[in-house]
Amino acid sequence: MQKQRLLYLQVRSPSVFSDIIGFTPIEPTEGYQAEIQVNVEDWPYESVHQALTDGWRIIQFPHLQAPIDDRDLDVVGYEFIMEKWEEYP
Amino acid sequence: MSLRKHLMSDVEVARFIVSGYHIIRPRFPKGFNESIAQQLDGLESNPGDAISDVVTELNAVIGNSKVRGVLVSLLGEDYEVIAHRHWHCKLPGSRYMHWHQDSTNRRDLRINQFLGLYYPREVTPDMGPTVIVPGTQYRNAPTDRMATYTNIRGQVPLVVKAGTVAFTHYDIWHGTAANRSPKKRHMIKFLFRRKSDNTRPTWNHDPELLNQPRDWNNRDKAQDVGNILTFSNPLGVSQSDHYKERVIRRQAWEHLMGKAR
Repeated sequence: MQKQRLLYLQVRSPSVFSDIIGFTPIEPTEGYQAEIQVNVEDWPYESVHQALTDGWRIIQFPHLQAPIDDRDLDVVGYEFIMEKWEEYP
Repeated sequence: MSLRKHLMSDVEVARFIVSGYHIIRPRFPKGFNESIAQQLDGLESNPGDAISDVVTELNAVIGNSKVRGVLVSLLGEDYEVIAHRHWHCKLPGSRYMHWHQDSTNRRDLRINQFLGLYYPREVTPDMGPTVIVPGTQYRNAPTDRMATYTNIRGQVPLVVKAGTVAFTHYDIWHGTAANRSPKKRHMIKFLFRRKSDNTRPTWNHDPELLNQPRDWNNRDKAQDVGNILTFSNPLGVSQSDHYKERVIRRQAWEHLMGKAR
């Protein structure tokens, strides 16, 4: 059965070529939890573009309504949401 | 004993402004940390703010010279120890805790308030260490907006020896890993606050160190205040965010120097 995998990528800028700052993989399996790790040994990709070449599709581009106020800092990076459909038991 | 030798250096203060944390290992009497850890192991309920009335040795943590040296350095000689404190016990088998900032979204871009996290027992990687994200302390983000973040580049797990005190900016993003060990992971959180604005630096300040030229070729290896405040980018954020960070850092520094009123 095909199920949807998700990958949230927080990226340095809205460009698909910019560096990844954070990631959250969501696997479609019962009881799965994405969790903060002490040692992150494997970053899945260096950029969104690299994920695209591996078959991930972008299903949401980052919102670009950045605050105009030149002092405010809020969330880290720009978020792309990716999906991939794959066979799962 | 003079507190002077325990005060922070210019570089340490600048790094706290940039990264939002500073870690020390004070010297405590033999058996001190173990005694506190054992008492915490035996507690059946959380006494909240009264934790230091129940485990009275905890008062010696905030009275330690090395701890006081940091507090004077960053908050001035008349710093305040807030009555609020909390025992965080990460039980064996407990899940990770998601990223969050404490309190509501009224943030302070100056160094006026921060936490002291005391770990009476060694924290190994499998014991559910606190994890912080250096550089996030000036980012005002409701915790709900952090729900889709999991691992963030540059995150630092506080895997520490017994007796370590980690000072963390009040607004730094933090969470925990899961505790997959058979041991309880204890942390006592203290809260400290500034009572009056500085009129001069209250750390081991050397004015000569402020006049170093900008070194564009060693930006990541800066060893002086000006270059640390200008070039450090612990999160690896974009240029526009980084420029804002520079302004905030410089204002925080000037405030500590007693120049910004």
